Amino acid sequence: MNARHIQTTIEDHQVAKLAAFAIALHMIEAVIPSPLPGVKPGIANIITLFVLYQYGFATAAWVSILRVFASNLLLGQFLSPTFALSLGGASLSLGILWLAMRLPKHYFGPVSLSILAAFGHIAGQLIIVRLWLIPHAGISYLIPIFATAALFFGLINGLITARLITSK
Amino acid sequence: MRKLILFAAVLAVIGFGILQFKKKEPLYHSQSYVFGTLVDISIYGESNERARVVTNLILQDFQQLHHRFHAWETDASGNTSELRKLNEAFAKGTSPIEVQADLANIIRDATALSVKSHGLFNPAIGHLIGTWGFQRDEFSAVEINQATIKNLVHAAPRMTDIVLNERNVYSKNPHVKLDLGGYAKGYALDLALQRLRKEKINHALVNIGGNIIALGQHGQKPWRVGIQHPRAPTALATVDLPSGWAIGTSGDYQRYFIQNHQRYCHIIDPRTGYPVQHTQSVTVLIPPQSVHQTQAGVLSDVATKPIFIASAENKYQMANVFGIEYLMVIDEKSNISVSKKMAKILYWQQPDVQFSTFE
Amino acid sequence: MCNFLRLNNPLTRYLRLGDYLLILMSIIGILWLFNNLWSNEQAAKVQIRQGETIVGTYGLNQTREIQVKGPIGTNTISISNGRARFSKSPCRNQYCIHQGWLNRAGQAAICLPNQISLELIGGTKPYDSLTY
Repeated sequence: MNARHIQTTIEDHQVAKLAAFAIALHMIEAVIPSPLPGVKPGIANIITLFVLYQYGFATAAWVSILRVFASNLLLGQFLSPTFALSLGGASLSLGILWLAMRLPKHYFGPVSLSILAAFGHIAGQLIIVRLWLIPHAGISYLIPIFATAALFFGLINGLITARLITSK
Repeated sequence: MRKLILFAAVLAVIGFGILQFKKKEPLYHSQSYVFGTLVDISIYGESNERARVVTNLILQDFQQLHHRFHAWETDASGNTSELRKLNEAFAKGTSPIEVQADLANIIRDATALSVKSHGLFNPAIGHLIGTWGFQRDEFSAVEINQATIKNLVHAAPRMTDIVLNERNVYSKNPHVKLDLGGYAKGYALDLALQRLRKEKINHALVNIGGNIIALGQHGQKPWRVGIQHPRAPTALATVDLPSGWAIGTSGDYQRYFIQNHQRYCHIIDPRTGYPVQHTQSVTVLIPPQSVHQTQAGVLSDVATKPIFIASAENKYQMANVFGIEYLMVIDEKSNISVSKKMAKILYWQQPDVQFSTFE
Repeated sequence: MCNFLRLNNPLTRYLRLGDYLLILMSIIGILWLFNNLWSNEQAAKVQIRQGETIVGTYGLNQTREIQVKGPIGTNTISISNGRARFSKSPCRNQYCIHQGWLNRAGQAAICLPNQISLELIGGTKPYDSLTY
């Protein structure tokens, strides 16, 4: 069978570069110790958001899911609980973004999307923990802490994204 | 500018939120070991400082009462208690001694209650209780001395043997020994209620060794009291205690020893001289009483004893004597029977509790 | 791209009216969560679970260590002075150890890799006082 030559565009290359960047950010974050599991800056989300603004939702979803699979494979956590948490968080976060991008652009900028995505992320992770990993665990105690972290990092990441978009 | 105002509003909300978060339920709770038992006081709706001050006043009252009316201890300064002096005088003969007005009133009231109960409530059988070893803080199984018990029952000490002339007291029967164990906790409850009212506290719950009196309520809800399961370390049921009401339980599981597979509890039938073995527990709920009657606290403490001692067929008649409408009895086979009125207000803590009701 | 460290006054520059409202609503929401999910109540017991099963419920008024086996090894849980914590764990990231002592009802610590959880239980009695 002949190897078919795949036509790639400049855009493809850019998206690939951004995905690689997202994977790198994800892995850097994975080795930084966190005071509480689940509380992370989520800087890779900046890339997701940036791609969403530049290339649309489908590409952003690709980059996000690719990042989850690739970085977990590279970290040797594929199909582990950590992977499930990553995937759950990323999926719900994307779902929320898909809805949030419909908000009027005039009033809601990248910061809103970033905060909502961050809430989606922790909600997705908490749902996975509750439903699948440890069905009985009393994690409700941690929800306010996760939510505070999501708001804070969502705001910071949103501001960075806004800066990236306008500087382009 | 508009954004600046918005930002200020955000900060204001954060501040407000933090204040909200810091606001705790205004419930003060203290537990202490006075009166030879656990005293548990909850005060709602007062500052912590105020609640602590009032709690200490109540505890001081209890401490004083304990020293004066304790049957087998000497007080802090090594003096024998008022009650012990009285008992020594009773044993010596018929020369009267003078007692404090409140002790005279207690004797008068306890005598009336004893007569009402046909002698089943009998605080004069201190010697009998002593023989069974229950007049010690740390008691253990005793050698049951049948002859001694027989003699003590035969001596028939009764409250009516005590002659009270104003504050001068003597006993016609030298075998009378007052033990206020079944009266003093209830008396202390009534005293606590008086103290709370005097200190303008509106909401409190006082528990002295299982006897409880309520004042006001716990925030929006009434005070809720659990009733101990006689054979399990949980509450069998809970009940809402309205303001001024008292609840008391007598059980065979608090002070007892087991010998040859027989349970000997601290509730002694004065007719036989032996601990009651046909009942596990009796709980009564007492509404506020009018001023010149026996108060709710005392009644909640006293009334459970004759009901506990009375045989199954006489229990409800005994409850009627004391005008008790809210009653729960658990017999030696763990059968639960509940008065109709009581059944309506109990919340069972297990889903399928079997019980029978009576009028 | 490297000049995003020079953000001057980013709040007024990048935030729109809706963003402010969203932040405001989020803060209110979070405070509501704190109010409702955080109790200040001292816990009385700790419940330990491994996977689907309750390993046991232990009073906090004792000092003891409890060993619990999971898929990757044995965790040690310490109880002392009304508190409980993970004190030894075979897991790689040791998150469960870092959670430290728990002492309030509703608090929980989880060792995900070994599927062991601690949950502190009140305190919350269905009644204010007990007649006995």
